[in-house]
Amino acid sequence: MGLRILSEIERQKNIDDKQNAIIAQLYGVSKKFKSAISKSLNNINLEVYQEDFLSILGSSGCGKTTILKMMCGLIKPTEGKINWPTSNFQNSPENPANLSFVFQEPNLLPWMNVYDNIKLPLKIYKENSYKADEEIYDIIKLVGLKGFEEYYPRQLSGGMSMRVSIARALVTQPKVLLMDEPFSALDETRRFDLSQEILKIKKEKKLTVVYVTHSIYESVFLSNRIYVMQPNPGKIFEEFDFSNQEKTEDYRFTPQFFEQTKIVSDSLKRAQNAE
Amino acid sequence: MLNNKIHSLLVIIIIFLIWEISFHLLSLKWYLLPPPSMIMSAIFDNALLLFISLLTTLKIAILALIISVIISTAFAIIFYFSKFVETSLTPITVILQVTPIIAIAPLISIWVDNSEIATLICAFLVAFFPLLANTVAGLKSTEKNHLELVSLYGANKYQILRFVVIPNALPYFLSGLKISSGLALIGAIVGEFVIGPTAGHSGLAYRIIESGYQLDIPKMFGAVFLISLSGIMLFNIIRLISYLILRKWHTSYQPTD
Repeated sequence: MGLRILSEIERQKNIDDKQNAIIAQLYGVSKKFKSAISKSLNNINLEVYQEDFLSILGSSGCGKTTILKMMCGLIKPTEGKINWPTSNFQNSPENPANLSFVFQEPNLLPWMNVYDNIKLPLKIYKENSYKADEEIYDIIKLVGLKGFEEYYPRQLSGGMSMRVSIARALVTQPKVLLMDEPFSALDETRRFDLSQEILKIKKEKKLTVVYVTHSIYESVFLSNRIYVMQPNPGKIFEEFDFSNQEKTEDYRFTPQFFEQTKIVSDSLKRAQNAE
Repeated sequence: MLNNKIHSLLVIIIIFLIWEISFHLLSLKWYLLPPPSMIMSAIFDNALLLFISLLTTLKIAILALIISVIISTAFAIIFYFSKFVETSLTPITVILQVTPIIAIAPLISIWVDNSEIATLICAFLVAFFPLLANTVAGLKSTEKNHLELVSLYGANKYQILRFVVIPNALPYFLSGLKISSGLALIGAIVGEFVIGPTAGHSGLAYRIIESGYQLDIPKMFGAVFLISLSGIMLFNIIRLISYLILRKWHTSYQPTD
């Protein structure tokens, strides 16, 4: 059996069983922005297990990005708390490189060329390190940007900018990668190639990925767990587990994939109308 | 680009030609509107005198510009870090800006004995504000996404300034510098008009006054011509600097094809 909707009891059992593998846990997290009338997020409970590919799926404006930004400390929750059981996965002054963030837009600095943009995180926290050069060229090769090191962001296409952005996130050799709809601006083929690349890198480096998306296909294809969110205020609607699903490159053409896509799609539809 | 420059040069040459021809055809009075040829020969006749005056005026304008750059950048960075200082000092800078320099210049000349320094203060007061206003706007216009990016990696205040805030403000600063370069020259001229010549060194403003007394209208035109010429020169130097700094990344220098 591939995909299951987890009931509250199963979820609790999972938490108990895999206690040691939890790297981050959100307890009753809510967020109300100062400028907003009502809460953007209400009572979010979610767990990230080690080496998860966790997707947070929901329509635009349901607070997916906010969850991600709270996890990396860019936004503080109004209520509840985010717990990191060990300090091995969280960014801290001693360990600034555990966690990387890929923004929705490439978010490159226009005044730096590709090489310097990718090197930026290293420059920030190990100011005088010169031996990093080789690592940077490895990463550049990995994302297929060899020969473009001297280019400035205005000379790059959308897809190339996104790859620079991913390279910048990987250059610190993070253990956790938070991605905020990173491929939403790309065409279908590039999306697939890049997500394939991400899966490969994830496997190689034993990364944990938290992936925010509004694409049902992407979430089913990439992840082993999915949280479906409902809007107004943002809440977790249902949780899916694919842990037993074998995922090959051709998985997305199997009847099983379409079946699972339909289940998730139905769930998303119900989430839209849920109170 | 080069074509455009040739075009604008051609227009200027044509205007001068029309001026020259109509002077002869309409037999205008040379002491009212001397023809370009007469202005040129007046400049050559007084070459050394005018050249020294030009240097004097340029020196004051450039010094005022340099001081404006230093002080406005320092102020802008302090404003960036302290909202309190900004709200307390901004009204004063606005008052200085809106009060015509010609009204303050006599006061400055009373307070400051050295007329060269007094003129410098005039030029500085005029050049300072656009630079400050633009630099402050530039520092504040940093994209939130960029700030989030660097703070994600634990950048300290100095690193945030160096990697994100200052590069982002550069185009604003440079366009402020373009405006201020012209204003510094105006300030230097107006200052000299009101305060009077520096002992031993007289700028172009004094040459204009002097030519007026002597009714040497071609020389007066020559001095005016040199003032515009030096203004154009200053402006283009700043434009070149800004091209060299921004050409690689800024969208305003993106090749169009």
